[in-house]
Amino acid sequence: MSRPLRIALTKGRLEQDTLGLLEALGYDCSAVRNKGRRLILPIPNRNMEVVLAKANDVITYVEHGVCDLGVVGKDTIMEMHGKFYELLDLGFGRCKFALAVKKGSDFYSGYSVKTIATKYPNVARSFFEAKGMDVDIVKIEGSVELAPLLELSDGIVDIVETGTTLKENGLEVYEDVAPISARLIANTVSMKLRQQEIESLTEKIERYFSENKE
Amino acid sequence: MNRFDCITPEGTRDALFAECTLRRQVESKLRNLFAARGYSEIITPTLEFYDVFNREARPFPQEKMYKLTDCKGRLLVLRPDNTVPIARVCATRLRDAVLPLRLYYNQSIHVSSPTLKGRDDEVTQSGIELIGSDSRMADLEVIAAAVDVLASCDTEYRLELGNAAFFRELTNRLEASPQVKEAVRNYVEENNFPALNDVLDGLPASDVTEALRQLPRLFGGEEVFAKAAALCPDPAFTTVLDSLKSLWETVTCIAGKERVTVDLSMVHRTDYYSGMVLRGYLSGYGDEILSGGRYDKLIAEFGYDVPATGFAVNVDAVVKVLSKQAATDPAARPASDVLIWAAKGLEADAIKAAETLRAKGLVTEHALFDTLAEAQAYAKKQGIHNVFPITATETEVNQ
Repeated sequence: MSRPLRIALTKGRLEQDTLGLLEALGYDCSAVRNKGRRLILPIPNRNMEVVLAKANDVITYVEHGVCDLGVVGKDTIMEMHGKFYELLDLGFGRCKFALAVKKGSDFYSGYSVKTIATKYPNVARSFFEAKGMDVDIVKIEGSVELAPLLELSDGIVDIVETGTTLKENGLEVYEDVAPISARLIANTVSMKLRQQEIESLTEKIERYFSENKE
Repeated sequence: MNRFDCITPEGTRDALFAECTLRRQVESKLRNLFAARGYSEIITPTLEFYDVFNREARPFPQEKMYKLTDCKGRLLVLRPDNTVPIARVCATRLRDAVLPLRLYYNQSIHVSSPTLKGRDDEVTQSGIELIGSDSRMADLEVIAAAVDVLASCDTEYRLELGNAAFFRELTNRLEASPQVKEAVRNYVEENNFPALNDVLDGLPASDVTEALRQLPRLFGGEEVFAKAAALCPDPAFTTVLDSLKSLWETVTCIAGKERVTVDLSMVHRTDYYSGMVLRGYLSGYGDEILSGGRYDKLIAEFGYDVPATGFAVNVDAVVKVLSKQAATDPAARPASDVLIWAAKGLEADAIKAAETLRAKGLVTEHALFDTLAEAQAYAKKQGIHNVFPITATETEVNQ
């Protein structure tokens, strides 16, 4: 038997949602639930193992083929891009990329070049490029909402779930950029060499989704 | 102190000992394999003019080429590819040669990769080019050689066949601006399917966008032909699919059905490949080991209109896969068989005695120490089992 099919999960909420899905499909995820500090965990009797990683690293591991599959948010995929197959929209982890500005301000008015603060410079750049707009992009690592409040930027491009953080800081969504949800991705060579194993998993997931649609 | 004087540039590295041995073994295996098929070696310069690679149908993005200037200020590149320089040679010095020409090469290419991705910028490629025939047999000869290359590395290989014309027909029918088509082409070429979907989402839905969306899934065994035919019923596609199917059937007779698959999304360097395309995979490496195809229009760009087909093997990748399998330390250094130590004044005798031992096939090195005890300690550390002290003249040794 070849090495177990390795699936990298984005630590945190996507990890929990994916485990829920795998358990609903009859996979025994108890080892992953009781992981302690371990980062590679077996799924018994399925020749499969789970690797836990940060979102960007899930893509790196899958691109290099050291993990065959990965679960990662569309936000990370849009920011990182790369060479891999995007197999399924898993439906959970739903939110959106949006352009947000100070409440009541008109972002597109005036002739000055706008400044955008974001954790996702590639997403922001391609959004404004598609509009043929020159913008200055400033990469911020922490709470992006600060940048327009401190008047570093005219707006932000960031992930918006409920909009509460925006509201509490006097910002509002000005325009939606793109919807986000969790995706199942696969290394291009694994997809060829382990096609049957991978397709049997994706078929199970698709069947589960169609059976559980209201 | 210089900051960079002790390290190699990103994407390059030093190869030591056992890894070098393995690399030379792989190279000579491939060399023999190509030579046995009537291919002759060609070596082209590492430096080429930028213009050689900067033509419309040669998609080497300028940011991926290492550039420098010559003493006259002209722009040079470290060759990013081996096929284009060979096309240049064919169209110039080999113009009057009898066709078909069978050429092979074993030399490095340089591609500037994105930083911190763990990719190699300098890669040794070994490959063949079969120039001057557009026949099915020429494609089959090349594919059969690729099968032998892969089988010689690992029995668990996978060969994939496709046809660049399938994707070209699709994009020709796509109603979009040239820029969008270019983006689609780039994303498919990079297997960047998430980004491809984003672009397609922005276009009006049609049969063509649907087919492009399905393209990443058009790989596998025989069933792919039926799936593709259903998505693209147009006769132009049928011709392409029929010729690919017949090629696939013949190749499965050589290599077996489980080893050969079809992938219609395989469109690497679409403007360069015109027909059959192939890729080879080995388990234990996350990218292709071998890639190539038919490029009937490339040499014509240098003013000599001849069809051609071929492939390149990524020697570094093969070495990586094989050294994983070998399970020995890749940096291990083989120990000599004999260490000769000479007492002061007997150096000439030691050199002669060493030659005698080497003639018998023993790897023999000289001890560079003043005392025998130091030589013995060194031999123990290095794992050299025989220490041969010369303490008398040659005549005495022989007795």
